[in-house]
Amino acid sequence: MSNLAVSWFEATARQRLAALVDDGSFEEFLGPEAREASPHLGLFDLPRQFDDGIIVGRAKLSGKSVLVAAQEGRFMGGAFGEVHGAKLTGLLRAARKLGQDVVILFDTGGVRLQEANAGELAISEIIRAIVEARTAGCSVIGLIGGRAGCYGGGGIIAGCCSHLIVSEQGRISVSGPEVIETNRGIEEFDSRDRAFVWRTMGGKHRYLIGGADDFVDDDATGFRAATVAALAAGKPLTRTVLEAEQHRLTTRLARFGKAQDGYDVWKALGMAQPEALPGLAVEAFLDIARDRRETSDDAR
Amino acid sequence: MHTKRMAMKNWNDQKTARAARIAAGQTVADGKMIPAERLTEFLEAVIRPGDRVCIEGDNQKQADLLARALANAAPARINDLHMVQSGVVLPEHLDLFDRGIARRLDFSYSGPQSARIARMLFGGQIELGAVHTYLELFARYFIDLTPNVALIAAVSADREGNLYTGPNTEDTPTVVEATSFKDGLVIAQVGEIVDRVPRVDIPGDLVHFVVDAKKPFYVEPLFTRDPAAVTETQILTAMLAIKGLYAPYGIKRLNHGIGFSTAAIELLLPTYGEALGLRGRICSHFALNPHPTLIPAIEAGWVEQVHSFGSEVGMEDYVAARSDVFFTGPDGSLRSNRAFCQTAGLYACDMFIGSTLQIDLAGHSSTVTTSRIAGFGGAPNMGSDPHGRRHPSEPWLKAGAEADITSPAPLRRGRKLVVQIGETFGDKNVPLFVEQLDALALAQKLNLDLAPVMVYGDDVTHIVTEEGIANLLLCRSTDEREQAIRGVAGYTDIGRQRDRKMVERLRERKIIQRPEDLGINPLDADRSLLAARSIKDLMLASGGLYKPPSRFRNW
Repeated sequence: MSNLAVSWFEATARQRLAALVDDGSFEEFLGPEAREASPHLGLFDLPRQFDDGIIVGRAKLSGKSVLVAAQEGRFMGGAFGEVHGAKLTGLLRAARKLGQDVVILFDTGGVRLQEANAGELAISEIIRAIVEARTAGCSVIGLIGGRAGCYGGGGIIAGCCSHLIVSEQGRISVSGPEVIETNRGIEEFDSRDRAFVWRTMGGKHRYLIGGADDFVDDDATGFRAATVAALAAGKPLTRTVLEAEQHRLTTRLARFGKAQDGYDVWKALGMAQPEALPGLAVEAFLDIARDRRETSDDAR
Repeated sequence: MHTKRMAMKNWNDQKTARAARIAAGQTVADGKMIPAERLTEFLEAVIRPGDRVCIEGDNQKQADLLARALANAAPARINDLHMVQSGVVLPEHLDLFDRGIARRLDFSYSGPQSARIARMLFGGQIELGAVHTYLELFARYFIDLTPNVALIAAVSADREGNLYTGPNTEDTPTVVEATSFKDGLVIAQVGEIVDRVPRVDIPGDLVHFVVDAKKPFYVEPLFTRDPAAVTETQILTAMLAIKGLYAPYGIKRLNHGIGFSTAAIELLLPTYGEALGLRGRICSHFALNPHPTLIPAIEAGWVEQVHSFGSEVGMEDYVAARSDVFFTGPDGSLRSNRAFCQTAGLYACDMFIGSTLQIDLAGHSSTVTTSRIAGFGGAPNMGSDPHGRRHPSEPWLKAGAEADITSPAPLRRGRKLVVQIGETFGDKNVPLFVEQLDALALAQKLNLDLAPVMVYGDDVTHIVTEEGIANLLLCRSTDEREQAIRGVAGYTDIGRQRDRKMVERLRERKIIQRPEDLGINPLDADRSLLAARSIKDLMLASGGLYKPPSRFRNW
């Protein structure tokens, strides 16, 4: 029967945070009581939220103090607006100053169309803040398994993180399925074929091509354990790391650039029965995938 | 006096005419087998201008190859056809009218073609007979709309033309019965020709020609609802329905309409229903397609028997492995039959519950909007009180007693529960309750005698929204009825114009019941109550037997 523990996919941003960090350790910055809502949405007669769809603050994870941010995918698809973005930028700049690691719970479709310029600027500021925090020695860990996935600018930000943890439900990409279909045609990408969407953007595929570092079950305990382990591992961003990552991506493009479907990639990775992979439970999948996947070879 | 015989009257013209068609078919066909590449040419040889033609197809299966071949025919050879068919669903069904091959149309359901059919009716390209319910159209096949030619779809055929229609048998037996026994011509498209069919659904002597399409006929997975999309409001309305209707009336035999509200009810049975101690007391016998969302309830031992109109894509193996619950053939797979299941839903069920797009103050409901004519399908058969019913049952008698307090019990007609369930604001925040149905504007625009009403107000017994349940059986005047409807219409314009004092009085008489009146806390309506929260949960609950189509998978 259905797993009635805290499903990461089903949970709200606040439920995820509560289940992730040590009990009672979360302290919110600029909470809903501060009413820092979007100054733009009112112009479009759209409802606002007092936290602008992102929660930022400080918490403890297995006793270690970290800064945390969680996007609420149920509000405007977790999209980045001016306030939303500023809260995350501020948190990342604080991390650098305080020398603290950051955990970001992504759940976003990208930039909010109604405040696109502010949103795009926010994405760039966040990327810069991540790079500065990481070169200063902080780890930035991304958790992806929410309903909205991690798309648009969110997908680029995720690519700048030190470590990504993903569940099967999680999706990571820049352009979403509908956008690709609209621009390139249904022959290129059938956005209504959901199994295909997951084979090309979903958690298992991203883990297999080294686009994510850990693959966990859709529950808060799995995400928590992997986050604690990743915090302990801590990898500073250096020029060597960047060059290794560039090399890895070049090789990946050469190896899989012609693939039309996740199946083609998995086959090239040496999977005996690629079509069986989507149906496998986490343990069985990891048993097969661990050794054959395109590793991130410590690039992050 | 003795009867005067008509001089020179030939009493077997139709048989002769069919024999002539079969002979004409031999110019292309080899015995019963039509070469697929000459299908259009074949149809031109056997179909006559003015024929009544049925292309099999409904809201699920489609004789797609035959539809395409007929749409490619030369209008000079075939024209003025009168199409009599359940579904106008494929673009080719309407291309026939655009190309002048067909002129007149009697149908039941138009789903995806609802906007185009409306445009063509406005434009006068289609001469409309009537929009029917499925059962009504089937009935007319035997009285005044008998097809001259039926183009049907099956899974496989043997060389004698015995057909295997498989889990999606649906309308085929009805169409063949009406056509073949009244000297009409039956032409079947099949996915493959085999030496021996797995079971004989249609005997070969009723089938005159067969074409090998070399691939399965098209089937739409219309009855799959992803539990991931069920909202908390839908869960609340489902809780209200279970505790406020299913339990007190003791509804064991029923039909569920398509939609997320009824999917939510199915998913709450093994959790919320179980906690209320209702297993074995409600929901044991269904007239229902194999809804994937029913899997958890079946697995938890709730459901004794299900008869189906059609199958559902991906459910074939699960159904075959649960033959104690479903109707299956000697080959092991589901046997569905739309006409029988519609009859079962009408006469042997004590409740229909389904959603709609618009409800007016008299309780009439409709899924028509001014630019779309979606037809009726089977909902009006399910959602109506059958006046021919004579067998008693507890819910039927209880509902009858609520509606009629004056007649002596032995002379009192029972009532079938016909329940409309939905959120006060539906998809895209469109209000469910309206002053006037769009169906009326449409009827005026098309000059129709009847507005396309899905369920008439006098058949509706209850309306359930997140604000509560309105029991229309207990209303004693049209005024009470109107206020009972306003009383559950929430913040829609209709709801805000309620007479608050009267609504409170209706509540005292239990004509309106709020969640708190039923001991339901709206904050308990949480997705964690669902027995499955994703398509994958359904697949896992079925032990891997349910194989969801690609478009529903998020893995």
